[in-house]
Amino acid sequence: MSKHSIMVNINGSDAEYEVDSSDTLLSLIREKAGLTGTKQGCNTGECGSCTVLVNGKPVNSCLMLAVEADGAQITTIEGLSANGLHPVQQAFIDAGAVQCGYCTPGMVLAAKALLDSNRSPSDDEIKRAIDGHLCRCTGYKKIIDAVKIASKKLLEEGS
Amino acid sequence: MQRRWVGKGIPSIVAAEKVTGKMVFGTDFALPGMLYGKVLRSTVPHARIKRIDTTKAERLLGVKAVITGADCPEHKYTVAGQPVADMTILAREKVYYVGDEVAAVAAISEDIAEEALELIEVEYEELPAVFDPEEAMKEGAPILHEELGSNIASHLDFVRGDPDEGFASSDAIVEGHFETQMVHQCYLEPHGAVAAWSGSGKLTMWIPTQSATLCRMTYAKALGLDPKDVRIIQLPLGGAFGGKLEYKLHPIVALLAKKAGAPVKLVNSRRDEFLAGTPRVPMKFYVRLGGKKDGTFTAKEMRIIAGNGAYTYYAPPILVSAATRHDCLYRIKNIRTKAWAVYTNQPATSCFRGFGNPQSHFAFESTIDMLAHELGIDPLEIRLRNASQSGDVTAHGWKMYSVGLTDCLKKSAEALGWEEKKKNKKPYRGVGIASCLHVSGNRSFLPFFDGSGAMVRVDGDCHVTVYSGEPDVGQGLRTTFAQIAAEELGIPPWDIEVALVDTEISPHGLGTYADRATTLGGNAVRIAAMDAKRQLRETAAQILGIAAGEISFGDGMFYSSDDPERKVSLAETARKASYLRGGAPIVGHGTFIPPDVVMIDPKTKYGNISCAYPFAVHAVEVEVDPETGNVKVLKFAAAHDLGYAINPLASEGQIEGGGTQGIGYALREELVTGSLGTENASFRAYEIPRASEMPEFVPILVESNDPNGPYGAKGLGEPALNATAAAIANAIFDAVGIRVTRIPVTPERMLNLLNEKLKTEGKPLSSG
Repeated sequence: MSKHSIMVNINGSDAEYEVDSSDTLLSLIREKAGLTGTKQGCNTGECGSCTVLVNGKPVNSCLMLAVEADGAQITTIEGLSANGLHPVQQAFIDAGAVQCGYCTPGMVLAAKALLDSNRSPSDDEIKRAIDGHLCRCTGYKKIIDAVKIASKKLLEEGS
Repeated sequence: MQRRWVGKGIPSIVAAEKVTGKMVFGTDFALPGMLYGKVLRSTVPHARIKRIDTTKAERLLGVKAVITGADCPEHKYTVAGQPVADMTILAREKVYYVGDEVAAVAAISEDIAEEALELIEVEYEELPAVFDPEEAMKEGAPILHEELGSNIASHLDFVRGDPDEGFASSDAIVEGHFETQMVHQCYLEPHGAVAAWSGSGKLTMWIPTQSATLCRMTYAKALGLDPKDVRIIQLPLGGAFGGKLEYKLHPIVALLAKKAGAPVKLVNSRRDEFLAGTPRVPMKFYVRLGGKKDGTFTAKEMRIIAGNGAYTYYAPPILVSAATRHDCLYRIKNIRTKAWAVYTNQPATSCFRGFGNPQSHFAFESTIDMLAHELGIDPLEIRLRNASQSGDVTAHGWKMYSVGLTDCLKKSAEALGWEEKKKNKKPYRGVGIASCLHVSGNRSFLPFFDGSGAMVRVDGDCHVTVYSGEPDVGQGLRTTFAQIAAEELGIPPWDIEVALVDTEISPHGLGTYADRATTLGGNAVRIAAMDAKRQLRETAAQILGIAAGEISFGDGMFYSSDDPERKVSLAETARKASYLRGGAPIVGHGTFIPPDVVMIDPKTKYGNISCAYPFAVHAVEVEVDPETGNVKVLKFAAAHDLGYAINPLASEGQIEGGGTQGIGYALREELVTGSLGTENASFRAYEIPRASEMPEFVPILVESNDPNGPYGAKGLGEPALNATAAAIANAIFDAVGIRVTRIPVTPERMLNLLNEKLKTEGKPLSSG
């Protein structure tokens, strides 16, 4: 295993990390950066719990090597509420889309990425965007409702 | 009576912690100096351990402790309340399934711990193995636990009424054979725990668990400790669904921490989960049901053979549940039941939402449809004719104070469009309906105790904290308890804290299973809040100089009933109460012991096991694809008699989530296990429902107001999937005329069934 020094921007702050070539972005975020809002559900890219935004795009951080993130802008769930709750976060609360909450950070980020590129997605587009995210509690209905509420809010705000 | 905070669909009071990633789950929890554990599992299904050599692993740099069966207490233990002790913490002489815990390592990183596992040498002398419970019952089958003399872990045999007479008087009798599979709970957060020992030899464990009480009880026994030396602190759970009660990982991490002399954290990989979790008990059913021309049930006979797996967890009480509960849905008096839970060389099977009921309801509710078909009666109609009603005492002695079954049947059928869809049948589409019931607490779970305690603490700043022994497992119990305390104290629920369970602080509560937490725990919280208010009222009486009995309460104020202008706020009263007590907070205590319930008779299993019984009916429309065999659920109407909806938003969430698990159970999920262990040990190979597969879902709340529930509330979470598989199977019959007898109905199985039908009938399928 070789050591590498990488520079990443996590939630707006640049930081340098010493990583092994085999370290995943997930382990960098959880263990080195201490941001445990990003969850580990399977470590094989099959559940979506570890989703973060890399340069604005949702990525399973367990499948990405930390060295691949060198120079990238990473947004984790902790980076979404710097100025109070993001409309997607508020919508998840209001719609009852949160039960155990373990899939929630990944779902919220996937929803944010969707709404960033498509302000008024159809039901099918929402389902597609979250189809790689497993939720065992909700049956997805209220998560889809939440994305629609957030979409409406963001359109109203014109942001 | 106008209620302010209960009956409102308020969002979860802890959701903000979860959407911001701030909630510290079990897998997030850490202590300074903590080591990381990993478990070595058996690679063979049944064997004697000839030799274990851990020397190389111990020498690996960074390894701090290696343990094997030799480091574990010799005595055998089992989970709380079960009679047969058949486990040691790590395997000592034999391994019983692929995945069995053989050794464990604690190291300075998870990677090093994993590397160390590969250095442990284990030599096995393989023994013949058995995977099918019916095979395992036969003479000459390999015996797992020789000291028990047979593979029968538990056996039931009981009769109600006169089944022979009942069958003799029948106009029609149908017979069915059904099989259900092993499925995993698939909570998104894998099992995990952190353990640390104090200098004086006291063990503390941080566990995301459904029951701190049961964990303490069982691990004290397993580790040979006095329960007072074991402290369990519950952490928030990333899902449970029955799967997060006692589990071997917990005592293993305790032993690792002891040997390493440092705190240790151990988290399952997803593969560990699929290989060595505690999946749902698989069952085979042989059912006979008789009925009169008018649809009245005359007699029922059932044989159940259940897979207990390698060790006895909760399969025996699950078998009792599977063998009895569905009988109480309808007015059926003549019953004969025989059932066995049988050891096999597979993961130990245990609790999963429904506790045996999704299995038996699939079999029984399918058989009811067969009888309806035989008698030419509509499946909805036959259920309405037989449905239990409020005030009934069932064949098993269950006292049904509130029964909303008839309402559930009518409302779910109406929401689905039953009549219309039956009349205007479309090719390859069909509708199906199935009922179910559950309990709100199961008195027969533990012999010595049932009930729930609560404390409501109001400090001098009028800050309110609720303590209960029942953990929130993600379903929203903390919000429910906050709403109940809010209702009694006139404070908004989001201003109330509900503490996580800690066995050193929280009152005794058996835990969140058997749909008991809202009903039993909720009653206890309500009583505790009322007790706190009574004490505050006494202080208000002192402040106002009038008798407590002449004081009313409303809008956060105590006031004179005669002169509402003489008043003092709750906040001021709390401050004064604290001063008057030398700074001590007001602590209201509440206990709730379910009335009129009994330990069932050990032989006949007769007796009222719960103080309230929730009901539900699922009505679904499916479409069968004749080309691929894929069965798609198009619409799902789920009517649930939950007594009273303390939080309708969270209640809908339970129904939608449970129903979705039911769809997975009916159509996709199955642990494929055999001599290689679980073969589909990943989410890629073991598919659970995804967003794109969801039907149009209509949750319906039916409120029958149970006299024993808090504000009338009964259980809800478990029945949310009890009826689903049966409803889907019945809809498949309606769609293509094929009676499905085995779940899951995967596309491959459905296609085979379609092809068989085509062969026998020699013509293309006429779509039912």
